[in-house]
Amino acid sequence: MSLRVLNPNAEVLNKSEALRMNINAAKGLQDVLKTNLGPKGTIKMLVGGAGDIKLTKDGNTLLKEMQIQNPTAIMIARTAVAQDDISGDGTTSTVIFIGELMKQSDRYIDEGMHPRVLVDGFEIAKRATLQFLEKFKTPVVMGDEPDKEILKMVSRTTLRTKLYEALADQLTEIVVNAVLCIRKPEEPIDLFMVEIMHMRHKFDVDTRLVEGLVLDHGSRHPDMKRRAENCYILTCNVSLEYEKSEINAGFFYSNAEQREKMVAAERRSVDEKVKKIIELKNKVCEGTDNNFVVINQKGIDPPSLDMLAKAGIIALRRAKRRNMERLVLACGGEAVNSVDDLTPDVLGWAGLVYEHVLGEEKYTFVENVKNPHSCTILIKGPNDHTIAQIKDAVRDGLRAVKNTIEDEAVILGAGAFEIAARQYLVNEVMKTVQGRAQLGVEAFADALLVIPKTLAENAGLDTQDVIISLKGEHDRGNVVGLNQYTGEPIDPQMEGIFDNYSVKRQIINSGPVIASQLLLVDEVIRAGRNMRKPS
Amino acid sequence: MREVVTIQVGGFANFVGSHFWNFQDELLGLAGDLESDPTFKNHGLNMDVLYRCGETHEVEGGRGRLMPTDSFAHGRRLLILVSPCLQGVLTCTPRLVSVNYQGSLGSMSSSGTLYNQPPDVPPPVTTWKGALSTQRSQRRKRNLFLQSLYEDEQRQSTGVDNGHADAQDEIRDKDIVECLENEVQCWTDFSKVHYHPQSLYELSGLWMDAQEFNNYGSGKDVFSEGIRGEEMNDRIRFFVEECDHIQGIQVLVDDSGGFSSVAADLLQSIADDYANTPVLLYSVRDPGSYMRYKGRKMNISRDLHDAVSFARLSSFCKLIVPVGLPFLSGGKASTYLHVNDEKPYHCSAVYAAALHSLSLPFRMDLLGPTAISNRISGALDVNGIVQILPGPRQNMVAIVDSTMPAHSLTGNPAEQPLLSKLQSLTPEISEDAQDLQSVETLVVQGALASGEQRASVSEVQQAISAAYGEAMTRPRFCHLSVSTCPLPIPLPFPAIFSDAVGQRGEILGNPNPDAAPKTSLDVHSIPVAARLRSSSAILPFLSNRLENLRKFGIRRGALGGELLKTWGFGKEELEDMGETLSGMVRTLDPISDEDSDSD
Ligand SMILES: Nc1ncnc2c1ncn2[C@@H]1O[C@H](COP(=O)(O)OP(=O)(O)OP(=O)(O)O)[C@@H](O)[C@H]1O
Ligand SMILES: [Mg+2]
Repeated sequence: MSLRVLNPNAEVLNKSEALRMNINAAKGLQDVLKTNLGPKGTIKMLVGGAGDIKLTKDGNTLLKEMQIQNPTAIMIARTAVAQDDISGDGTTSTVIFIGELMKQSDRYIDEGMHPRVLVDGFEIAKRATLQFLEKFKTPVVMGDEPDKEILKMVSRTTLRTKLYEALADQLTEIVVNAVLCIRKPEEPIDLFMVEIMHMRHKFDVDTRLVEGLVLDHGSRHPDMKRRAENCYILTCNVSLEYEKSEINAGFFYSNAEQREKMVAAERRSVDEKVKKIIELKNKVCEGTDNNFVVINQKGIDPPSLDMLAKAGIIALRRAKRRNMERLVLACGGEAVNSVDDLTPDVLGWAGLVYEHVLGEEKYTFVENVKNPHSCTILIKGPNDHTIAQIKDAVRDGLRAVKNTIEDEAVILGAGAFEIAARQYLVNEVMKTVQGRAQLGVEAFADALLVIPKTLAENAGLDTQDVIISLKGEHDRGNVVGLNQYTGEPIDPQMEGIFDNYSVKRQIINSGPVIASQLLLVDEVIRAGRNMRKPS
Repeated sequence: MREVVTIQVGGFANFVGSHFWNFQDELLGLAGDLESDPTFKNHGLNMDVLYRCGETHEVEGGRGRLMPTDSFAHGRRLLILVSPCLQGVLTCTPRLVSVNYQGSLGSMSSSGTLYNQPPDVPPPVTTWKGALSTQRSQRRKRNLFLQSLYEDEQRQSTGVDNGHADAQDEIRDKDIVECLENEVQCWTDFSKVHYHPQSLYELSGLWMDAQEFNNYGSGKDVFSEGIRGEEMNDRIRFFVEECDHIQGIQVLVDDSGGFSSVAADLLQSIADDYANTPVLLYSVRDPGSYMRYKGRKMNISRDLHDAVSFARLSSFCKLIVPVGLPFLSGGKASTYLHVNDEKPYHCSAVYAAALHSLSLPFRMDLLGPTAISNRISGALDVNGIVQILPGPRQNMVAIVDSTMPAHSLTGNPAEQPLLSKLQSLTPEISEDAQDLQSVETLVVQGALASGEQRASVSEVQQAISAAYGEAMTRPRFCHLSVSTCPLPIPLPFPAIFSDAVGQRGEILGNPNPDAAPKTSLDVHSIPVAARLRSSSAILPFLSNRLENLRKFGIRRGALGGELLKTWGFGKEELEDMGETLSGMVRTLDPISDEDSDSD
């Protein structure tokens, strides 16, 4: 078992030892994740003890694959994973920001400063930074037709931190179109309405957007068509299998005749349901060459499949619960829970339904639908770990688009915000702060710089030079980010490098909270225990 | 055909499962083995109930890995059949989803051993042009047993078989048995089964060690965090969708720690998705889980865990069977066994044998009540069991009893009749409860008439009904299933047989406690009897949980109130749980003291 015993002495450490432990753990985790950051970061291939491969450039995935045992590190990791759950991005930044806050604090504590003072400074700096974020953000107007260009720029920025440029750019188009497909005015965006499906294919690496739905199963009858055009779609949640009804134990000992009777009665009632579906099919398809497809969330047993096949109906059973919703959004109609009183208006429509078989894996494509509000991103890749990595990236891209639409704002990236916020704190905020808490503000401000510094470091640039030139350019009154090729200042706006507003806000919010807990070490030990069972 | 899908959640559940599947694999292997005992060739059991057929789709160089089918030897893996006209390799794998910690699969890949095995050299990265860093965990070494499986397959796939190295094999088998005795750490260490890539699910990102993951609360968010729940559901759906007519879901849960709540959440979503499919739940524990707790605080937490996890798990199934004694060794259940309580490899084998017997009626083709077979009788599907056992009282908690090797029906007068040898594997029950309302389902497999002579179905039926006739107290109702096929003992099976057990599981005399235990090399098959019992004997188990929940959880100022809050339970939920438990007690003991709350 890979889960090993925790350091059993953790709880008896004295205050300063515990503080030291926290600082070291935060630094340690920062070191592991640092190389991940940005479009010049390092991708990691993890090969497990049995040869299983995981591939990731994502902080969230990497953390989950790690066997973390130190309670402080676990606490930071949980914060970062929560960051991903809430906003879908920024896990790496969260971890390195917390690490840096601890590193900066370390310097002051060495000089004899009380952690409490730093924590007070952090609180002031955090509030000021959040206010500054509001001023700094670039508003995006989301009318009826969202500005597709800005959506593309944001998702491209994210995707290019996970996949090489050409691949990222291809996916950018796909994720933007996917979100626009499912978006309904005045309603929150439900990304679950974008299905992400994958196929393992040795020679075929490709990702595409299917306007419609791809299901990971096929019909279960040899006589059903594998391809049909002009299809009515019946989406239902009705058991079409023989089920023994609730009967008491006495049944098992009663005579054979009685048993047979019960079985026949039960069978009849299933057949009745199937017949009702066939009736509807006949009603709508009679005299046309239209087809009829049943997609059922419950089971369909072989006798029922037989009847349906004979009637020329294609039937799929045990569809995912979520596909019931997706189907209706893609094809129209409504999902029915009973076959009584079926009418043609419950039916959806698809121009094309076909099956694709790969070994024992079957896929059913429901395509050529009118005005779909659900769609599928289909990823083909040569092996599981590549598929998984692309999937992670696609999820990030989708979140970036959704966030942009909902935030109605974006933040200039490539370190631009961090540089600007740092200068603001140092030049404007510090002088308004009384006493030593000033130093806490300064520590916070310097910690922000870890983002551009790390971006530079990962690009193989000299971090000192980069920071000096960026600060200089900023103080000349320009908004500046880092050109990752040259180390020169650039205007992220011109380059189209944008991050999500909500992601940034979340990082600024959670970083200092965790760092403060770790600094006020008495509370940390208790908090550390609670964190294992966060409520 | 009526399929059963199996789900295993947690450490010990997977140990039990591993033995269970080894038995199935052995049965499948013996059925194809020309030299095996005929009873294994024609056992009348439908293995497709538990197994699925499939096909891999990627074949290196367009050629299948050819696997001859005529070399099933004792303990070898069930081989794969190749059909030359198909692209891929035909496979036969359990309908199973197993859930466990990340890293608990030892040297086995999470995608199993058949489909897309991990390559020796990682393929180039095609998604990133920047820097790559590779972090390699130390390769987990295969133990002698797994090594030999692997070599066998290599040999067979290359088609080179250097005749008969039997004498040498004999020695190796001995080494293998010994290596397993000493080296088993993971359940995969002794598994000879090929698993489907959808079967083995690892929980990543838990960041907890086994010590911390030891109570209901520690697992409470595991299912819902991220996409874990969705991933588990997808895997279950994969196996359910391909069933033409699923008869039920058999679930094994290690309920000694955090896996209880993972399983409860999973079962809840199964209940939503497959409302009409009955769930038969075994909660299993190894003796080790009883030893780990010391100190008063730990005990309260332990008692609350037991109460809460039982209440939750039982609310998402049709029948729950608690399995797992604090001690297996020394008890009456192991007169002819030498079980080492500290080895999960040992204990899980005993429980797996009972579960195997209990699963036989699910695979007997339903012939209708009048048809007669000379191999099997008493087919009963999962739905049947979950309806019969609760009886008119609707008691959904059953006790499991077993005896292995089961005594012969007649013969040696020193042997007691089979029925009286059944011993409970369920903890905290009352031994001498007399319950005239009890309902039982009994399975007898491979019974011997006398000596090494196998008994026929009707001999077993007669003997059992005679035994019930003579018994002091009779259950209100008993269902008997008989299979003439004994439990095959695969090579990877612990050395737990006493010296008094013969090759076919016959009892040779009185056991000598000092003699070295016999291994799977000495004992090839054994008769087993197992019984599920719905009886008031379970009352202590139920009332202990009820009382603890009231005392430490519900009562005002209860010591465990805060703890339960961190586990996510509010007052109302606790009271509901208390109500559920007291309902269970009441059905069995209508005059139970309802006021035990007020003292
Ligand atoms: N072209 C670019 N040039 C410079 N910086 C960039 C560029 N594109 C993105 N960045 C910066 O990279 C950072 C994001 O990197 P990355 O996505 O690797 O980490 P993260 O979002 O913090 O964590 P994760 O994505 O792993 O959850 C942001 O600060 C962003 O501004
Ligand atoms: Mg990112």
